[in-house]
Amino acid sequence: MSFLERVDQTIRRSPVWRSLFRQPYPNDERSRAYAVMNNVFLHIHPVRVRQHAVKFAYTFCLGGLSFFLFLVLTITGVYLMFFYVPSATLAYTNILDIQSQVTFGLLTRNIHRWAAHLMVFFVFLHMMRVFYHGAYKPPREFNWVVGVVLLFLTIMLSFTGYLLPWDQIAYWAITIGTNMGGYAPLLNVPVNRLLLGGLEVGQNTLLRFYVLHIMVFPLAAAIFLAVHFWRIRKDGGISGPL
Amino acid sequence: MTDTKAPPEKRVVLPVDPTRRTEIDKQRVPMSARPYRLLALVKQDAVVRVQKEPDDTVMTWPHLLSIEFFAAGMMSIFLLLMGLFINAPLEELANSNVTPAVAKAPWYFLGLQELLAYFHPTVAGVLTPLLVLVGAGFIPYVDRGNLTATRPSERKTAVVLFTMFCALGLILTFVGIFFRGPGYSFVIPYLPFFENTTPGLHFSL
Repeated sequence: MSFLERVDQTIRRSPVWRSLFRQPYPNDERSRAYAVMNNVFLHIHPVRVRQHAVKFAYTFCLGGLSFFLFLVLTITGVYLMFFYVPSATLAYTNILDIQSQVTFGLLTRNIHRWAAHLMVFFVFLHMMRVFYHGAYKPPREFNWVVGVVLLFLTIMLSFTGYLLPWDQIAYWAITIGTNMGGYAPLLNVPVNRLLLGGLEVGQNTLLRFYVLHIMVFPLAAAIFLAVHFWRIRKDGGISGPL
Repeated sequence: MTDTKAPPEKRVVLPVDPTRRTEIDKQRVPMSARPYRLLALVKQDAVVRVQKEPDDTVMTWPHLLSIEFFAAGMMSIFLLLMGLFINAPLEELANSNVTPAVAKAPWYFLGLQELLAYFHPTVAGVLTPLLVLVGAGFIPYVDRGNLTATRPSERKTAVVLFTMFCALGLILTFVGIFFRGPGYSFVIPYLPFFENTTPGLHFSL
């Protein structure tokens, strides 16, 4: 027995390792089933999946990658929150500091930005994939509705985040966007005041968009994501092939 | 008196005329030799038949999870490279007194902004997005023609309508990204021999 093998065995037999992993490395069907069933992160999956579902060209991993981007955005977003104050006088300086002073600040902000665009794009693509497969048909109608809500939340997450750097693109893009609300029939004035917290984009708008961006919409998205994943299982797993 | 006790014959199997032995007779076994009894006669249909469907499933680990992990890894590498080499745009500090020459919404709203060039803001900015979202939510309850049809050839109307909608959105967004310049006027990018040309794109992500 070589030295490495002995180290390997010692680690695997240690009480710490055994307390972490209840099963040995999954080699047979039984232990592979346990590996999925007993893991809090993996147990959203069934133990067995239909063969067509694992074909890459059937789903293109679009839904899974959208969720992965959501996780990436959560992690990078939390890191950025440490260095950002939603104040009209400080926000822009904070972004400059994040880019020049904060360790990995520029990289984190870049990844957050690109992942946000990609997530909107992937959610669109996921929706198109589901439509072309007719995967919204019974019994999956309601999960499609949940998906539409998630599309709305994704766009709103991206849109509220757009204002936070408080630069000219952000300011005027949000001005255009929120002016739309002013044209809502009957509700124009209340909607506009509610979005802006005033007569034009200002400190109140920034704070509102910030709270929506970091708390309200992510929480809502997390809840709807949970329902979305739960319903995939309850509606009989991934839809059948063409 | 000799007590001749004949061994008690419990069962007597009547001999059958060999010429008349049927298949059933050949299989006849003395009851004493039978370890079973006839309990009931069951029709063929009622017999429990374990009909196993052809198993088309595979284990989630490793078949599905390896693909998922691979996709997530590829996406991580892609994001890392994007983040390393392309910086997120940041312009000068927001100023409510200076309207930039080009003010465009984020790309996913550019289709709506493009509609704004043709329709009243109430139609383009409020009613259209509302209709699109609510309409999308109602798709499964409207498309009730053939609930089992999934092939595109079996549901041509749905596929054609949806594709037309997607193409329309794509074209509007495309025009918004490439062919709109200062003051949201129509421009042609990169081509200097046109009258309304611009040297580059008026677009940032």
